[in-house]
Amino acid sequence: MSRRIAIVEDDPAIRENVSDTLRRQGYEVASHPDRPSALAAFRSRLPDLAIVDIGLGADVDGGFTLVRELRAMSAELPIIFLTARDSDFDLVAGLRLGADDYLTKSISMPHLLARIAALFRRTDVLRSPPKAEETMERGPLTLDLKRMTASWRGQTVDLTLTEFWMVHALAKYPGHVKNRDSLMSDANLVVDDATVTSHIKRIRKKFLAADSAFDAIDTVYGMGYRWVTP
Amino acid sequence: MRSTPSTAWATAGSPPERAAEPRAPETWRPRLSIRAKVVLVSAALAAIPFVGYGYVREMENVLRAAQEQRVIATARAVATALHDRPRLLEFGATQEDAKPRRPAARAATQEIELILTGLRRASSRIFVIDQQRRLLAIAGSLRQEAPAGPEPEVGPWGWVQARLLRPLWAQLLERPPQDFDDAIPEDLLSGGKEVDAALSGVPASRWRPTPDARAVVLGAAHPIWSGTEVIGAVVVEETTASVVTLRNRVFEQLLTVTLAVFVLGAGTLLVFATRLSRRLRRLRDDAEQAIDVRGRVRRAFRGSGDSDEIGDLSRSFATAVDRLAEYNEYLERMADRLSHELRTPIAVVSSSLDNLRTHAIPAAAQVYIARAEDGVRRLNAMLTSMSEATRLEQTLATTDRERFDLGRVVSGCVAGYTAAFPQHRFELSLPERRVELDGSPDLLAQLLDKLAENAMDFSSPGEPIEVAVDADGAAARLSVSNVGPLLPEAMADRLFESMVSVRTPAAKPEGAARARTDPHLGLGLFIVRLIAEFHRGSARARNREDGRGVIVEVTFPVAATAQNR
Repeated sequence: MSRRIAIVEDDPAIRENVSDTLRRQGYEVASHPDRPSALAAFRSRLPDLAIVDIGLGADVDGGFTLVRELRAMSAELPIIFLTARDSDFDLVAGLRLGADDYLTKSISMPHLLARIAALFRRTDVLRSPPKAEETMERGPLTLDLKRMTASWRGQTVDLTLTEFWMVHALAKYPGHVKNRDSLMSDANLVVDDATVTSHIKRIRKKFLAADSAFDAIDTVYGMGYRWVTP
Repeated sequence: MRSTPSTAWATAGSPPERAAEPRAPETWRPRLSIRAKVVLVSAALAAIPFVGYGYVREMENVLRAAQEQRVIATARAVATALHDRPRLLEFGATQEDAKPRRPAARAATQEIELILTGLRRASSRIFVIDQQRRLLAIAGSLRQEAPAGPEPEVGPWGWVQARLLRPLWAQLLERPPQDFDDAIPEDLLSGGKEVDAALSGVPASRWRPTPDARAVVLGAAHPIWSGTEVIGAVVVEETTASVVTLRNRVFEQLLTVTLAVFVLGAGTLLVFATRLSRRLRRLRDDAEQAIDVRGRVRRAFRGSGDSDEIGDLSRSFATAVDRLAEYNEYLERMADRLSHELRTPIAVVSSSLDNLRTHAIPAAAQVYIARAEDGVRRLNAMLTSMSEATRLEQTLATTDRERFDLGRVVSGCVAGYTAAFPQHRFELSLPERRVELDGSPDLLAQLLDKLAENAMDFSSPGEPIEVAVDADGAAARLSVSNVGPLLPEAMADRLFESMVSVRTPAAKPEGAARARTDPHLGLGLFIVRLIAEFHRGSARARNREDGRGVIVEVTFPVAATAQNR
């Protein structure tokens, strides 16, 4: 059964380009230009994944509203924001609303496909009964590579896909300095250094919420970051 | 190839030349404050005493004329009393010749004097002469009794009058003399015009000075008729003292009132002008402080609530400053908005190219796709750096401050650059002790990244890039210096504004160039400024003292407790 992806995007060229790319990969695509039509379609049938733009024509924050409504319909549905807005404020707002990822439109189609595939893998693993687990343990950190979930001292740390990939890239070789560029490519992310910094900052905060003594991510100024096993 | 369009971009985006240079020296003109001008204008009040003076002189003339009439009338009255009484005069005339005096003659003189005394007035003198110009009788004196001293004044006003004004008026006004020669001059009797006229039958009057010229005497003579024959004359003399005294009193009052009006008026004007110029000065200071040397709006300008013209001026200035602030904000957000608006069409191009890639493309056409992708990649990099400043501002607003060692951050960064850019040589000098700053090490590393990028862009090949940290007392200094093209002097202050780029990057050999995708938009040093200001520091760029290159210095205050270590 082919997976069904809904794309809500006001710009017809991008909508069609993304649709074409996805269809070529064998996904079934439903595209919607605005919030009311998307919502009507979602009410009759939920897609397997939704890609939503924040600004939908005159509806400046329409994407936010739509994702809130969509999240209310389904807690598990993977949702990706794909938007031209790259401010920290929008990023945080988008992720708080329950989106699984937040991408800017400068992302290339192959990167986008990689993220969609990863999100599907994660939902598959979460849905299927637990079987042979593929985990990575670094001291108190445990990464479930199938589910793409992380836990610290047995406590689950709720990471987005980008954050998970970053933690994974860092923790894979503890002590090795990862520079920002390689972190970005590991996370299938095409952004600038500052975004990496703010992602790292958010990851630290999430771990600190689980353990106030967390200091496993070390900043090596001018070079990048490394995972320090306590 | 790459640098040309981006430099043009930066130039086109830079704000128009502003009058950063000091203004041309103005030709010197006397500087008068509003207060001084108003006081000068109030000097017009000084005309009042002059007008009053003319008025008082006029009054004095009228009084003198009246005095003359009165004296003439007195003379006429006396003469009339003596008309047709030749016996009295005859007795009188014989008085001096007849010796011993006859009682009848003495009685006649006494009778004349009785008449004269009845008509005499204070400070006037009446005498009667006969045809032979002999003095028959005299009554009164020109001298005045010493006037009673001025009544004692009470209260502060009295004190002012007695101690300040009276002496002042005494200096200004001529007092009627108390002591003068009041003898009847010989020539009056022998050849005085009025006497001559009276003895020839015509009443006359004359102003004459006393023999010692200290006072003026008004004399009026009237003939005494006996039938149709002039048998003698009555001469009435009076000094002008009463008129002068009266004039003086009026003058004193006039001057006192004028002075009071002047003091009161000038004082009021002074208070008013002081208030006015204080408001204007405050407006000026506010206006000057609202906009800093670079033309940025430093703080909101609050218009005053006053309803007059200065209030209007202040309010319209507030409106102007608000608009300027909006416009500045618009300019600063311009890069961000532009990047935002451009992202969607670029995404259209790049996603189309991605899709195109999946189709069979003839090998000859591949190169064009590759070039288009390269172009899109560069556009994306440009947009990212354009919105970097805005994103940084948002980050700054939410960043928590921590204490960190500047030396450690800088040495880490420089080690990173050495590894990442082997074609450049970095020389690092650090102080021996810790230099602690209060702020964000991540942001400071970002600042140093920008300084290093800037230095690498403009560095002459093979020359070292010097990074130095030093601290003295409460200030820490981070400097990055490179050998390369110099800065135009006038631009040094503007480098740290958004989208100002003045140096042409050093030419790099094709292929050997490091793979740097960021076009030079002139935002790097703007970011340096933002981060420096977040650390309460300031950034400055200048040409090196050896004239071979440029040094960018960022000065920070050292974290407070670090000084105690």
